[in-house]
Amino acid sequence: MVKYLSKEWAEQAKKKVLEDLDRTKDLKNMNASLLNVVQNVPPDQKTVYFYIKFTDGKLEELLTGSDESIKEKNAEFTVTGDYTTFVQISSGQMSSAMALLKNRVKMSGNKMKAFTITKPIDTFNMCIKKIETEY
Amino acid sequence: MELARALAENEVEPTETLIDVVNSCNLCGICDRQCYFITQRRPTQAQQALKDHVKTIKPNTLKHVPEDEIVKDLHVIVGNDWATNDPIIIASYIRSIIKQKSSGKFYIVMPKSTEEIAAIVMLANKHKIPYLPRGNGTFFGVALQTLLAETCSIEQGIIIDLWRMKDIHIDAESFIATIGPGVTSFELQKAAHAHKLRANVAEAESHVCANAQNLGIVTTWSNTYGWGTDNFIDAEFIDSTGTIMHLSDKDIPNPYASEQGLLSLSLIPSVIVTQLTLKLHQILDDEEAIFIPFTNLSDALDMAHNLAKRNIGISLAVLSRKYLTEFISPTHEIAEDFNYIAEKYLKLNYIVDVICDKYHKKIIEELAEVTFGHSMIKSLILGSSKLASMKDSSLLKMIAEEENPLKAVFGGPMRNHFEKGLAASPHELVKVFDEDLRDFFEKLYSKPELTDPVWLHSFRILPCRMERKHMWMYRGGYMPGDKETILKVVDALEKPAEKYHIEGAFGFLSYLERGKLAHLEYDYYYDHADPDARKRLNKAIVESWRRQFAIKGVTPLEFICSKGLHRKEHILYPVPKGLSEEDLGHFEELIETLFGGEDAW
Repeated sequence: MVKYLSKEWAEQAKKKVLEDLDRTKDLKNMNASLLNVVQNVPPDQKTVYFYIKFTDGKLEELLTGSDESIKEKNAEFTVTGDYTTFVQISSGQMSSAMALLKNRVKMSGNKMKAFTITKPIDTFNMCIKKIETEY
Repeated sequence: MELARALAENEVEPTETLIDVVNSCNLCGICDRQCYFITQRRPTQAQQALKDHVKTIKPNTLKHVPEDEIVKDLHVIVGNDWATNDPIIIASYIRSIIKQKSSGKFYIVMPKSTEEIAAIVMLANKHKIPYLPRGNGTFFGVALQTLLAETCSIEQGIIIDLWRMKDIHIDAESFIATIGPGVTSFELQKAAHAHKLRANVAEAESHVCANAQNLGIVTTWSNTYGWGTDNFIDAEFIDSTGTIMHLSDKDIPNPYASEQGLLSLSLIPSVIVTQLTLKLHQILDDEEAIFIPFTNLSDALDMAHNLAKRNIGISLAVLSRKYLTEFISPTHEIAEDFNYIAEKYLKLNYIVDVICDKYHKKIIEELAEVTFGHSMIKSLILGSSKLASMKDSSLLKMIAEEENPLKAVFGGPMRNHFEKGLAASPHELVKVFDEDLRDFFEKLYSKPELTDPVWLHSFRILPCRMERKHMWMYRGGYMPGDKETILKVVDALEKPAEKYHIEGAFGFLSYLERGKLAHLEYDYYYDHADPDARKRLNKAIVESWRRQFAIKGVTPLEFICSKGLHRKEHILYPVPKGLSEEDLGHFEELIETLFGGEDAW
């Protein structure tokens, strides 16, 4: 069991994705980088960043932490929301597209491109939900 | 009604509150009169059943519902009478904002002021639970039966019922009305009419603020009065942090801008509108209704677009036979017979429906081969039961044999015979009602407003009759006003209905911007109590999106939702390109991501 958004969780998540998901079939050879800004993370309500970058469907980076350097990475998409919503997304209770539709998260970036990567991002979330996580 | 159903289906256990609810009704029957007029239902029967049920419950078995911290905090904000976590009260919100069989923890709160709503939003944020404002639940009531349910509901949290916020202030000199979010379209129209002014509002029972925010107010008056921000001067709203803002604030981010495209779908409003200042319009002394009947849609669209481009008519729409017959008939059975007669004998399938002044009336009469007005529509309303009884009569067969039955009935020598044959009177009409309701309805139908098409277009008390037989799902949306595009969209909506055996019917079409744009309502009717029908409906909805998105310029209605506070210029211009095959593939993936595979819905 690893703590959600911890360094250990990030390592396990990266390993899981690289092992379990096919770059073409599952991740559609996507090229995209996404910064999740997770607000009000307990216990001290801090903001934690969760950054992922895919190149040709390969997960190149998966970083978490409060370090501003993560925030400063030039992500194509930024998704901002409350910790409770990200827990729902990462645990497979709600897709990120549904969270967007329900106004639970705000997204900036090219919406037309976002539209093309909803499925592989959902596949990514369904994969990392399998990690035994303490939320 | 919903409470009686929930109890009957063991969805909710009786609590102490049930006794209060049941005792608050004295079976006076006013609900029957209201409900029967629209839906032919008699809620007093459900209320009587509840009273009988309560007699069978031993008082000591009634569940006591303890208050939790959230309810206690809500009581501090709104007072003890206006917030609850009692399942009996929550049950009455099921299917009009809460999904049936939701297992989440819900709270109902009825605030009285903007400040109270702001405090409720902050409380929800503090407890990290979602919240959802409720107007009259009309849109939710429709969408919650479909695959859209998840996207427009919350899984738990606070339902903010805005019903108590009923302030209306009319400033006749400035032609504006300032209203609270609990004001219905009927209430606003009534207040405006007292000053000989008209508000551009949706169906009578809808809440104006919710409707303006969600759908931008879709009416037959839109070619003249507009849509979205055309309708109002200012809005007060509360954002997701509980901050009170106004559209007129200079320092806020541009509130009118909106994104287009598939990911701009949002059926949950991002803000809560707590006050709206709307434009009102002068009512002319010489306003009249004029109807131009057509056999086919193409001809009706030609006529209507010609009028729209020239800004002829204050209210202008193409109305289907289905709407005409359902709206003006006192019962669904009569509507079905009227519909049959209109199609088979009169060849009346569409009507270009115009409210205009005397100058425009002259122009229309010159342009149209045949028209009818107030007198004929009054005869059809009061004589609809008689007309239904003439089904397959020799008179109707004779009419059908005419070269142009529409002209014969509505413009030719048979017009007088036809009107006389209907023997239209309130006394005759009410014979179709239950006996104990006849006196009331005879008085009601004797009121001139009930047969005055101008009044009926303003107050919109009849459209809800469309759901007398079955639940429906709104299809359609916005598109360029040219006939070719509209016919393509109608085809794109018809085909899925046929494929999945759903009854589909053109509803109405109105224009915007002197006919440059059009709004189409096409409806899918289905039995929402039948799981198989719901599945077929969902498949038809998805396929209709697919087909609509492939047509250049079309924005399905769902993609307009929650954008009523934005300028139409940001939403409808430039007209969107039709999706390519590749885009449609991504659309399939998006649907699967949102709703799961077909088996899931």
